[in-house]
Amino acid sequence: MILMPEVLTILILNVIFFIFAVIAFVLSVKIFLKWNFNSTDTSQYKLEKQSFLAATIIKYIFAIKVPLFLFFIFTLDKISHVLTGAMCGAGVVDATVYGTYLLILKIINLYLFAYWLMLHSADMKEESQPYTKLKFGVFIGAFFFFIPELILEGLMFSAIDIDRIVSCCGTLYSSSASSYISNIFLIDTPVLLALFYSNYLLILIFYFLKNRYLFAISNLIFILVSIVSLIAFFGTYIYELPTHHCPFCFLQKDYYYVGYAIYALLFGGTFYGLVVGFIDSKYKERIKNYNVSIFFTSLYVLLLSLYPIIYFIKNGVWL
Amino acid sequence: MIELKNIRKIYEANKFDRVTALDNINLTVQEGELIVLKGASGSGKSTILSLIAALSKPTSGEVIVDAKQISKLSDNFSSVYRRDNIGFIFQKYNLIPTLSVKDNILLPLVSLNPHAKEVEEKIQSVMKRFHIEHKENAIVRNLSGGEQQRVAIARAYVNNPKIIIADEPTANLDEKLSHHFIDILRELKALNKTIIIATHDPLFFGLDFVDRELEIHKGKIVL
Repeated sequence: MILMPEVLTILILNVIFFIFAVIAFVLSVKIFLKWNFNSTDTSQYKLEKQSFLAATIIKYIFAIKVPLFLFFIFTLDKISHVLTGAMCGAGVVDATVYGTYLLILKIINLYLFAYWLMLHSADMKEESQPYTKLKFGVFIGAFFFFIPELILEGLMFSAIDIDRIVSCCGTLYSSSASSYISNIFLIDTPVLLALFYSNYLLILIFYFLKNRYLFAISNLIFILVSIVSLIAFFGTYIYELPTHHCPFCFLQKDYYYVGYAIYALLFGGTFYGLVVGFIDSKYKERIKNYNVSIFFTSLYVLLLSLYPIIYFIKNGVWL
Repeated sequence: MIELKNIRKIYEANKFDRVTALDNINLTVQEGELIVLKGASGSGKSTILSLIAALSKPTSGEVIVDAKQISKLSDNFSSVYRRDNIGFIFQKYNLIPTLSVKDNILLPLVSLNPHAKEVEEKIQSVMKRFHIEHKENAIVRNLSGGEQQRVAIARAYVNNPKIIIADEPTANLDEKLSHHFIDILRELKALNKTIIIATHDPLFFGLDFVDRELEIHKGKIVL
């Protein structure tokens, strides 16, 4: 078990989240099963009061959990300083059997929690609270992703053995590695770049056509395409090293913490893109989500594209 | 129009400590009507006012104002409903003692973010109507009870609400000032405001401009 202040903070928060999430879960099940907005009987008025309590609990848990993702990444990076062999968060993720699953679960939950927050916000803007049943239903589902995340997080931190030598990111994200990650490097760079920019172009087209479902689907695909492109291509220009593909190192001071901006833009842009498709909000609200999404995604594409361009201008060659 | 349908309100501290404040109340108030709710302390008068003002929700039943189910509104929408429809006059005035007369009257308008000139015109107009214009910049805590009551009325009236609710409005006034308040009430009635007053002050009983007097006893309308 590694007990750094950051780890203790996360673990204490997890205990608090667990207690409140269980309370909210019990209330959510009751609300989901019995909610009838048109009823004016005692049980419905009671449910309305309880829904306010449950929604407030969930809102605060998720509103803290979403930015806490960046804190988790920061913590991984900090732990890497004390683990022999680890150069960044990648080594810490690989140090235990739980790390990779936890990271994947956290990314899924990030979207799930942010979606719930948007759903709640849309629900509160309407007098008839049209999304109440849905939002508590989503929370019941999210609960079964949330609790494993808390458990995996506890297991991961307790399984980290400070005396064990771990792999560095250079080994983990190498084209010669035998892991599933190494498959990424089998894709030809021109094909990958064509995929990346044509995916962005599709997002732009559906933005101008205001086709919400295709816009959301192209954003969903963009999450995967851009992470692969980041690891296989753009990352090498951030590091200015053709063999370095780590998706964690650029979160460090040496690279001006640019990774936080990259991930915030990617997750922010694609999240709002998904919201456009998944929440049937009012026209004005939907246009706002379209604009936020395209703004973040365009900044993301611009930021990543600048690295190879600047490298080429400075050095006259591509990596 | 205000409608209360099959209203029950139970205050429940715990399973063993329950007080039934209202028991199957049915009441309709037409637009422009002035109603006096009378009854002893604890009879449920103020609870009816708080339900109409969306300050609390019933245990069961419906509160409908202008065809809108206000008992179903969430806190945010209840606040908007109160801001746009209700003027309050409280027993203890509920003014901010450290602010001036003008600033107290201005308060209900702040969230509407209106034009400064429009605000000034409205405030001057209500101060004149309720004869408090000479105290415009006076700090409220330095005013007499009657003056404070007039400021409270001006504040209740400034955003031109459809409904005015007064809870024991003369409890802190002497007889002369109470009569003056009744004169103001007559003026408000002439402006076609719907007015609901909860009081046990006999001065309000038998007034010619009052449309109805309802006796509340142990949470029920008995008269």
